[in-house]
Amino acid sequence: MKYLRFILKSLLRSKRRTLLILSTITLSVFLVTILQALLTTLDAVSNNPNSSNRIVVRHKSGLTQMLPMSYLAYLKQQPEVETATYMQWFGGQYKDPSNFFANFASDETTLFDVFREEFGTSGVTEEQIKDYIRDGSGCIVGKSLADKFGWKVGDVIPLQGTIFPVSPRLTVKVIFKGMKPSQENVLHFHYKLLEESVPRIKGRVGTFFLRVHNADQIPRLSARIDNHYANSSAETLSETENAFNLSFVKMLGNISTIIQGITAAVLVAILIVTAGTMSIAIRERTTEIAVLRALGFRTGLVLGLLLGEGMLLVGAGGVFGVGLAALAAGGIRKGVGTSVPFLEDFSLTPSTMLLCLGITFVVGLLSTFIPAYQATRRPITEGLRSIG
Amino acid sequence: MPDSSNSDAIIKLRGISKSYWRETLEIPVLQGIDFDIPRGGYYALMGPSGSGKTTLLNLIAGIDRPTGGSLEVCGYELNDLDDDDLAGWRNAHVGFIFQNYNLVPVLTAFENVELPLLLSSLSRRERRARVEEVLALVNLEDRMLNYPRQLSGGQEQRVAIARAIVGDPDLLVADEPTGALDHQNAEEVLALMERLNTDLGKTILIVTHDPNAAHHARYQIHLDKGVFDKTVEVNR
Repeated sequence: MKYLRFILKSLLRSKRRTLLILSTITLSVFLVTILQALLTTLDAVSNNPNSSNRIVVRHKSGLTQMLPMSYLAYLKQQPEVETATYMQWFGGQYKDPSNFFANFASDETTLFDVFREEFGTSGVTEEQIKDYIRDGSGCIVGKSLADKFGWKVGDVIPLQGTIFPVSPRLTVKVIFKGMKPSQENVLHFHYKLLEESVPRIKGRVGTFFLRVHNADQIPRLSARIDNHYANSSAETLSETENAFNLSFVKMLGNISTIIQGITAAVLVAILIVTAGTMSIAIRERTTEIAVLRALGFRTGLVLGLLLGEGMLLVGAGGVFGVGLAALAAGGIRKGVGTSVPFLEDFSLTPSTMLLCLGITFVVGLLSTFIPAYQATRRPITEGLRSIG
Repeated sequence: MPDSSNSDAIIKLRGISKSYWRETLEIPVLQGIDFDIPRGGYYALMGPSGSGKTTLLNLIAGIDRPTGGSLEVCGYELNDLDDDDLAGWRNAHVGFIFQNYNLVPVLTAFENVELPLLLSSLSRRERRARVEEVLALVNLEDRMLNYPRQLSGGQEQRVAIARAIVGDPDLLVADEPTGALDHQNAEEVLALMERLNTDLGKTILIVTHDPNAAHHARYQIHLDKGVFDKTVEVNR
């Protein structure tokens, strides 16, 4: 502690330079943290623990193809299956194409059972669910979606179909709270309403969701289902819900590689900038370092003081950067999350923050060590420029 | 005068040589230097530029290593000490005074003087008392919170002297201590150093070109082309 004042005063020797490098580090760490948080958020899409015991069955040829509704009976007969439901992506627009949100035509009777964890904490009562089931033009919406458009129970929502030639007018029956924001940015209405309005899809549906007793049973069950419908007119692709969700993330491209590439570039930039600045700052103090050593400061101590200075600077930049990212996370969620898929759940986890701080400290250590080490290896007499 | 067999000698040099290398070319700076300096002595190292006086001072102060010979200072054979031990030895036994003061610009006078004591086991309160004591000794007790840029050259050098003596070293080494000062400030600094020698019994070794500064010493050691030339007692 007795050296802290010396380190702080040395750090503030050139306030403008310190402020500039601090700003650079803060901005870079902010960017790295946001990118890492984005990666974590996307990763969470395919790692929902509640999805681990659910299977999605869809057409092997792709999501635009539909499966016969008759498959449901076979799927329900499988001993591993506890319950099953089905739904169809509707892709309706509300007033304007920019008002994007997920909307599905789903089976109103089994939806709440298959997704019981998601709806279990929603605060929705049995009576509200019954009311929704009774009303064929009713719909349920997530709270954040309702808040975004100011919807209340009883409001009528006109949806304009973009895939199907139908524009239902839906009455809000239930507003539910999800376990996380992304679960609230969705609307469900009765599948029957869609089926009755679009004769060509009668007896067919896009996806089945099966809830199994035990997650360990999923691989065997998936294989059996796909084998059963192999060589049929509508072959199936069965996969875990997490894998299903991951396929949507993959549509964004190899996002992970892109993010890691940008992160690496930013880290190299911090390394170069910090190393350059520390190098200049240390070179300016060649004589001072020689004087300290002449006074009896051991090489290791001088090295420690210089490293402490660099680490304090980079560490402060790291803390400010991560702090700024934490503050920005809420804004990103509210500002971009409602219109960009997957970003509804954007958040900064403690592990992401620790990872970014750790990376920052390593970069700080690397960038300071080399110039500091070189400075302390220089002969004292050379530092004093005193060869007589 | 320097005596090659003085048992009370604080500095004992035997066959000291020092060479520098420029690529493959050896440049001898000091050759076969032998002399002793007794404890409490005040010596000026003199000689033309390139005679090796600063190099010799650096060797004695333990901030450089000889190429050959034996170097015993303050009871320690410096060749036997590794770099860390030598650093500890300097802190305990040597006070440095430089031509350009070499104060740390971001530290106050008090903090500059306190620097060598940070390495000791003294408490904060003990360090403070010791720093205030030596700043009073150099008549700068009212300037202890000033930064070097707020001090005159003479005051800066007095702060540097306070820093040199705060750890109560046996030996003070000074390289052109008045080289950057005007006449009046130089006289004040030289008078102060003389007091440190006479009143506190510090052994002082200075390198100087200035005959006036050398005149304050009791003996002048003359070097010429890296070889011991003569020792002259100063008549005052």
